[in-house]
Amino acid sequence: MTGRGAVIATLACLVTLAALRAAAAELEEIRTRGELVWAADQEGGGPHVFPDPAEPRRLTGFEVEFADLLAAELGVKARFQQGQWDRLPLLLDQTADCVINGIELTPERRRDYGCSRPYFGYALQMVGRRSDPPAALADLAEAGPRGAWRVGVLTGSAAELEMRARAARGEAQLEVIGYDGTLDSMEQVRGGVLDAAVLDDCIVAFYADRFAGLRNVDRPFAGGFYTVLTSHRTPRLTAAIDEAIGRLVADGRLKALYDRWDLAGRQQMLMLRDAAEIPVARRRTLGELVRQTLPLLLSSAGMTVLLSCVAFPLAVAVGLAVAIGRLHGPAWLRPLLTGYVEVLRGTPLMLQLYAIFFLLPKIGLALPALAAAIIGLALNYSAYESEIYRAGLKAVPLGQFEAAVSLGLTKWQALRHVLVPQAVRIVMPPVTSDFIALFKDTSVCSAITVIELTKRYSVLALSTGRIVELAVVTAVLYLCMSWPLALLSRWFESRLDRPAESEP
Amino acid sequence: MSAPPPMIEVDALTKRRAGRPVLDAVTLSGAAAGVTVLIGPSGSGKSTLLRCLNGLETFEGGSVTIAGHRLTAGSQGTAALDALRRDVGMVFQQFNLFPHLSVLDNVMLAPRVVVQLPVEEARTRALDLLDRVGLSAFVAARPATLSGGQQQRVAIARALAMRPRVMLFDEPTSALDPSMTAEVLDVIVDLARAGQTMVVVTHDHAFAKRAATWVVELTAGRVARQGPAEALLR
Repeated sequence: MTGRGAVIATLACLVTLAALRAAAAELEEIRTRGELVWAADQEGGGPHVFPDPAEPRRLTGFEVEFADLLAAELGVKARFQQGQWDRLPLLLDQTADCVINGIELTPERRRDYGCSRPYFGYALQMVGRRSDPPAALADLAEAGPRGAWRVGVLTGSAAELEMRARAARGEAQLEVIGYDGTLDSMEQVRGGVLDAAVLDDCIVAFYADRFAGLRNVDRPFAGGFYTVLTSHRTPRLTAAIDEAIGRLVADGRLKALYDRWDLAGRQQMLMLRDAAEIPVARRRTLGELVRQTLPLLLSSAGMTVLLSCVAFPLAVAVGLAVAIGRLHGPAWLRPLLTGYVEVLRGTPLMLQLYAIFFLLPKIGLALPALAAAIIGLALNYSAYESEIYRAGLKAVPLGQFEAAVSLGLTKWQALRHVLVPQAVRIVMPPVTSDFIALFKDTSVCSAITVIELTKRYSVLALSTGRIVELAVVTAVLYLCMSWPLALLSRWFESRLDRPAESEP
Repeated sequence: MSAPPPMIEVDALTKRRAGRPVLDAVTLSGAAAGVTVLIGPSGSGKSTLLRCLNGLETFEGGSVTIAGHRLTAGSQGTAALDALRRDVGMVFQQFNLFPHLSVLDNVMLAPRVVVQLPVEEARTRALDLLDRVGLSAFVAARPATLSGGQQQRVAIARALAMRPRVMLFDEPTSALDPSMTAEVLDVIVDLARAGQTMVVVTHDHAFAKRAATWVVELTAGRVARQGPAEALLR
């Protein structure tokens, strides 16, 4: 082997080693390292994992204590890793050894991941406003006073699966709306946007005081168990976790933990004792997978197109008006418009969407999610477009304006007929590229329940475990949409290749 | 017998830039009708004076009366300015044609937008004017595809389309190759012969001799000499 070959081989080994170290570790490695990395979403809230109200930098919750007990049983320390709840399983391919965060034990999860024996039993609880229907689960069979019942769930949760299944079987007249945050759905019920929310009963009980205006609708239903999720590649870790849970149950430490958290320790122990074996789901063929997921992916792709194609023209129109106002408007208006641009440019799109969707209902202005998404995208991008148009308008030579007004055109006529048409041509390339950027930014809208293609992919990939196959299908769909955009921008560029400026 | 109000009257016009006078009490006495030519060295204030005549520049003292409109010191009301500019056309050194419009649309724009002339009427008027400046063959062209001389002739037609009572020319041939100067000057001379009142800023003494009726020579913002062309340009 030449010297150079050796260097390359060494580098390759190092890269491989680094890659191996990055994924979930097997038991021996965890013991050597002295740390069990467990992933959860602290945004998910109580009683699972949440920032201690008294000391927000510290995490608390029954799963935090459970993770500590578990790690101690393995002879190591527990280290928390933050992730978005519906994507926690993906962290098993990155840096997490296990996921402990109210992950329901399902046949699909048993097929796709390592699953520990149950450590907690839950049931679903529906909540609604105290004085409004529905009053019982049975009420969902018929449409409500406003049509199909609008019911919020945590995206990717057992509640979502259960409610969608009921709707699909025709047992309930439902519009199921998925949220990224656990409490978002309860907030939306309180705000009047939703008729009801379905969550794990322990969450409803934990937040009962904060949502005093809400009530439990009917009794808990469709119960199940939480599991510690591990990777298929670490069977010895999974087995060790099983044994550790067994010891924690047997010697009463788990019961004591649940009692401390007011989670009915004795009932939990009885449920865990009687837990039936959950079957392992069958792996779907590629044909079945595509047949089952393509309609959903296509409709979400349609949502992506709808969001982009409605929001962007609005953004351009508002942006142009703002740019004209800043350059030619009355003096009092200019600082206001500058403030508008700086606020919208200086704060994240996600935050703006949240404000529109979750905060406006508090002042009595509840917008449907789609409208909120379109308005949010349009406002956010209008700030960027206005800066582009401002630059474009300034790039039109002063002589153009002088020539126009010397002909008797008023300032506004000069803008309308001479300056703006030229500015539009000048800014076409950056505006086109912003359109493509917005097209991709639509994925942020999933934070306010608008499910577009990226979100749909992520939900389907996680629920089916077919991450790679669905990624290919999704990528093809994106290409089908962005290809015409690329053609469009090339067409604009070819139009701009003609000289726009006269040469003396 | 009362004389009609003079077409152009400039009285003690004073303009400062950064505290220094660019125009110092400029009074034009005999520039009534016909062709007034402003001459003088670079930086003497000729172009600034011309731009004061249609309100592209404000001034600090004196007054301007042009085509029946009056401008005084300070900024003017926009409506008054818009009205003045409908009666006073301007042709620029750099043409300033609208690059996004065809030659025909450049000429049709102001009649359509400013006086809402019906499209057919505006088109006929524009085609007549383009014929008059010898550009009938280029109506559909974009300005950028024309030579400098052709562009300046379009600019003249564009200003004429508003049927201005006074035309202002700001060094209309300085940006042109000598070979194209003649075609533009011929158009201006033709206009002058047809009785168009105009004020022309130029360095071109030959042109001044050919067309001027009244000559004003500026030096350092002051009127050095002014008088009938035949007296001054011998």
